[in-house]
Amino acid sequence: MSCDTKPCECGQESDKEKYARIDQIITEYREKEGSLIQILHLTQGIYGYLPLQLLQFISARLEKPLSEVYGVASFYSFFTTRPRGENTIRVCLGTACYVRGGKKIIEKLRDLLGVEVGETTVDGKFTIEVMRCIGACGLAPAITINDQVYKQVNPDKLQAILEKYR
Amino acid sequence: MMAEQFIVKSVADLDRIRDEYHANRRQYQSEVLICSGAGCVSSNCHAVRDALVKALEDLKLREKVMLTTTGCIGCCDLGPVMVIQPDAVIYTRLQPVDIPEIVHSHLVLGQIKLDRTYRDKRSGSYIPYIKDIPYFKKQVKIALRNCGSIQYDSLAAYIARNGYQALAKALKELSSEQVIATVKQSGLRGRGGGGFPVGIKWEAGRNAPGTIKYIACNADEGDPGAFMDRSILEGDPHSVIEGMMLAGYAIGASKGYIYIRAEYPLAVERLELAIGKAREAGILGSDIFGSEFRFDLEIRIGAGAFVCGEETALMASIEGERGEPRQKPPLPFQKGLFGKPTIINNVETFANIAPIILNGSDWFSRYGTSGSKGTKVFALAGAICNTGIVEVPMGATLGEIIFDIGGGVPKQKAFKAAQTGGPSGGCITEDHLNTPVDYDSLVKLGTIMGSGGLITMDEDTCMVDMARFFMEFVQDESCGKCVPCRLGTKRMLEILERITRGEGREGDIELLEELGEIIKDTAICGLGQTAPKPVISMIKYFREEYEEHIRDKHCRAGVCGDLFISPCQNACPAGVNVPGYIALIAAGRFRDAYNLIRKENPFPAVCGRVCTHPCEKKCRRAQLDEPLSIADLKRYVADTALQNEEPYLDLVFPKKGRKVGIIGAGPSGLTCGYYLARLGYEVEVFEAQPVAGGVLAFGIPEYRLPKEILKREIKLIEQVGVEIHLNTEVGRDISFEQLRKDFDTVYIATGTQFSRKINIPGEELPGVYHGLAFLRDQNLGGEVKTSERVTVIGGGNTAIDAARVALRLGAKEVTVLYRRTIEEMPADAREIKDALAEGVRIIPLVAPVRIIGSERVDAVECIRMEPGPFDVDGRRTPQAIPGSEFTIETGMVIPAVSQYSDLPFINRDEVELTRWGTFITDRDTLMTRMKGVFAGGDVVRGSDVAISAIADGKKAAQAIDKYLGGQGVLNTGEEIPIPAASEEPEILEHERFPMKFLDPEERKTNFNEVAVGFHKLNAIAEAMRCLRCDRRV
Repeated sequence: MSCDTKPCECGQESDKEKYARIDQIITEYREKEGSLIQILHLTQGIYGYLPLQLLQFISARLEKPLSEVYGVASFYSFFTTRPRGENTIRVCLGTACYVRGGKKIIEKLRDLLGVEVGETTVDGKFTIEVMRCIGACGLAPAITINDQVYKQVNPDKLQAILEKYR
Repeated sequence: MMAEQFIVKSVADLDRIRDEYHANRRQYQSEVLICSGAGCVSSNCHAVRDALVKALEDLKLREKVMLTTTGCIGCCDLGPVMVIQPDAVIYTRLQPVDIPEIVHSHLVLGQIKLDRTYRDKRSGSYIPYIKDIPYFKKQVKIALRNCGSIQYDSLAAYIARNGYQALAKALKELSSEQVIATVKQSGLRGRGGGGFPVGIKWEAGRNAPGTIKYIACNADEGDPGAFMDRSILEGDPHSVIEGMMLAGYAIGASKGYIYIRAEYPLAVERLELAIGKAREAGILGSDIFGSEFRFDLEIRIGAGAFVCGEETALMASIEGERGEPRQKPPLPFQKGLFGKPTIINNVETFANIAPIILNGSDWFSRYGTSGSKGTKVFALAGAICNTGIVEVPMGATLGEIIFDIGGGVPKQKAFKAAQTGGPSGGCITEDHLNTPVDYDSLVKLGTIMGSGGLITMDEDTCMVDMARFFMEFVQDESCGKCVPCRLGTKRMLEILERITRGEGREGDIELLEELGEIIKDTAICGLGQTAPKPVISMIKYFREEYEEHIRDKHCRAGVCGDLFISPCQNACPAGVNVPGYIALIAAGRFRDAYNLIRKENPFPAVCGRVCTHPCEKKCRRAQLDEPLSIADLKRYVADTALQNEEPYLDLVFPKKGRKVGIIGAGPSGLTCGYYLARLGYEVEVFEAQPVAGGVLAFGIPEYRLPKEILKREIKLIEQVGVEIHLNTEVGRDISFEQLRKDFDTVYIATGTQFSRKINIPGEELPGVYHGLAFLRDQNLGGEVKTSERVTVIGGGNTAIDAARVALRLGAKEVTVLYRRTIEEMPADAREIKDALAEGVRIIPLVAPVRIIGSERVDAVECIRMEPGPFDVDGRRTPQAIPGSEFTIETGMVIPAVSQYSDLPFINRDEVELTRWGTFITDRDTLMTRMKGVFAGGDVVRGSDVAISAIADGKKAAQAIDKYLGGQGVLNTGEEIPIPAASEEPEILEHERFPMKFLDPEERKTNFNEVAVGFHKLNAIAEAMRCLRCDRRV
């Protein structure tokens, strides 16, 4: 996977450079008890997602069975083994957002982007994901696009929000 | 943010930092606090802050005004907000462009910029001072003591509020046993959900053998709808650090972990910063305050797994493993993190500790109820006016929290339920609004306190869909370790899904209950054991809604999309295809539109005028701008079609040779007759009055529903073969027994015709004229006189109609007395507005005490009322204010509070009646306990609206057809093709297109119809606003 489909602050950093940075992180954390999750967080931050080769790399460097590393990576919803689009839209489906119409946002996004939750658009622009409460309940329904929180989202106005990222 | 370089090693250091901070603060004339909680951040508070800095610089106020960036102030939906001290004036919904003007006005001129302050949604008035705003007024802040009132990232600001004094005091003066004893005596219970007494847990931790122990802070606030922990971490992180340190001292731990969810990046950032500062100042580390106590903290970030809020799963996750729960015992205090004794509490619990140690257990236990001490932070969200974070003493009632503090349900929707405890909790209904909220009372109601997320749900929430939502949530979040949770909840979800799709079966509810019971008893951890709770609780309180989904395939909230065409059609009791006829109007096909309505409702022109249009309340367009004027469009299309000379020929099936007798020619009786006649039955209707139409003819004034319009639609009903016998009262002109002999079945739809007495002294005096009688006499052409001054008592449509008729009959002064507020009046909002425009005076919150007069009415003595406790409808029961009596002089009193029915022709032993005198009928067939005798409309419902009576008439026609051997399928004529919806890339906002009304001055002296109607262009344009929710992809 090359850099051009991934939103990382690293710009055009090559896979090799990324692996080097990940290696550094592992060295830093390996002596600390129970740091696998933190390592995966940082790794995903660098690489964008966690493909099998990368998990194998981590497993070897930590001297932990791959099953354990993969088990943790697949357990938590924040980790993904598939590449994401340029922009990740996360629709909050906590109770407050659900009550205030979060489901209608999902329906509208499906309509607008033509992909299901968990999928990435053909042009690689957007990935739709669902989150369980981001704590913006007072501003429900909320979505996040990358790190920006959009509050009180009206499904009929989603198009305008998406345009900003096209 | 100021540079904070200091070392804290003694109480004297703390005192010095505090005093310096205050001395510095006193140099400023005022302080501007700007909220920078995550809510306000997403409302762009940073831009507002920048504008503020610039404005202060431009006006050379930087030396005079202290600028403080705080954590969450609490009122998220008002954000970004700022508070100006010393007077605590709050400015809300700020935009950067507003700032220069506010700053200039408030800080230079000393004038509050009122129209940018807090606006009370109910009264519409501005309330500038925080102390006067109901949302803040009733709160008591302990856990949130600093949140929203200090610079969030300043250690000195925390110390200035006596921060770390509790820790210093404990290390210097108290033994670990004494700390535990104080916490125990305070009665503090864990705020994360379980409510386990904190002191007892700590004692167990202290007594656990071992030299290495841990403190863990559960900041994995996963309960959807709870966000107080996030607010505390973002706004006052040191309060959590200090609480954890005190816990560490109490049990003998020197290391703490804070497990925080990855969804809260801002909280992580601010907490990291705070920990760093505490370390630099020597507060965290070794030799703390010169003692031997050492303590440090580490943050562990979750990765999006709800189950990690469960304490054993949380520990697994901290250890870097899959967050799967572990079997208990051993309990964490025996064998916790990395196998060592561990005490886990949540953020809010830790935030409570320092004040308890500093102020003593007695101070803390002053607040709350006997079993639940102190305060609780609630996160208000969902269908509630004021969303945000509030802290109230335990024992505040649910009604106080939702209505007084939360401001109630927005958009005039009805409160339905509140959900607490997230996916592990349940719901509370309007029956419980007076319940003091504490741990134990909530458990009794079948829910739990949980972490304090309180989600209000209104009438638009479907309780089956909600249960499905929680089950889906649990399915998503189940770790999969144990079968009951992994598969049991899957089965429950499948059942709920099929019910919401309209494929529910008899026995599904019982199956859900049984599965729920088993899962509760057999799952490993808290997540699984409590997973069925939301479902069970919703079935307990809303069973009827489940039955409706399963039997009638109806979702009253309009959520389960597979069960209806569109939300408006679903809301119509008669099930009229609203988007269909709106589309036909948009296409200019008015006659088709009229006929499409008549398929489901033979009274389009009438309903276009008098219907309470529940459809408009559900119109999705309301989310964008305003709901469609559905009723007005119906009126327009019916009038246009009726003006057409072309005769209407409804398709009628060949005669069946069976006879149906109907008692009462009101909307229900005539509707029933219309559909039965079209099926080929011989229908005769018996009406006591000299006109047909029932309450439509004699209860609704001419200016709202011209008699001519009603006659035309009744004529179309007669045209299909319905025979109406006027002036024929059953029991007088023909006996009920005879009727039963002559007809194969009988439908009773006699309505409610008698005005209920108000039972106050003087009601028998001449000059007292009961509402319905007054309207009837006037409508039927009788000589009705009013006096100069008329007083109407009541708040429904009959009361408003009577008031406006009195005005038209020449009364000079008409006053309506209502015991609740104007907003609570059941009368149609437009009628109330029109009445006020015509000069009717409405005095709310007043009740009559007695009617005064010797020979005639001279006056009414009244008493002022105030809203009291909540009743079962979720409304506040009005209570008299003693000593507030006053007198209104009047020549005529019209009580119009409600109506009741009377059935002189039926032997009461033969049927079953409610205590209100209405029939008891079978829910599905409307058959009374007498075989072959059906009943519907107001005589069953009590006073209700025309469209419900029409719906009953239809339902009865189906049931009667089935009873007489038919299929129960109505003959509604040929299909009418509906134009396809056009694709519009973007929908632009546009308010309703206007309809013409007579001017108040022009109309108030006569009975001409008040509404003139749409211009054709406006009607078509209005119809084009429809979003076509009937569209299917």
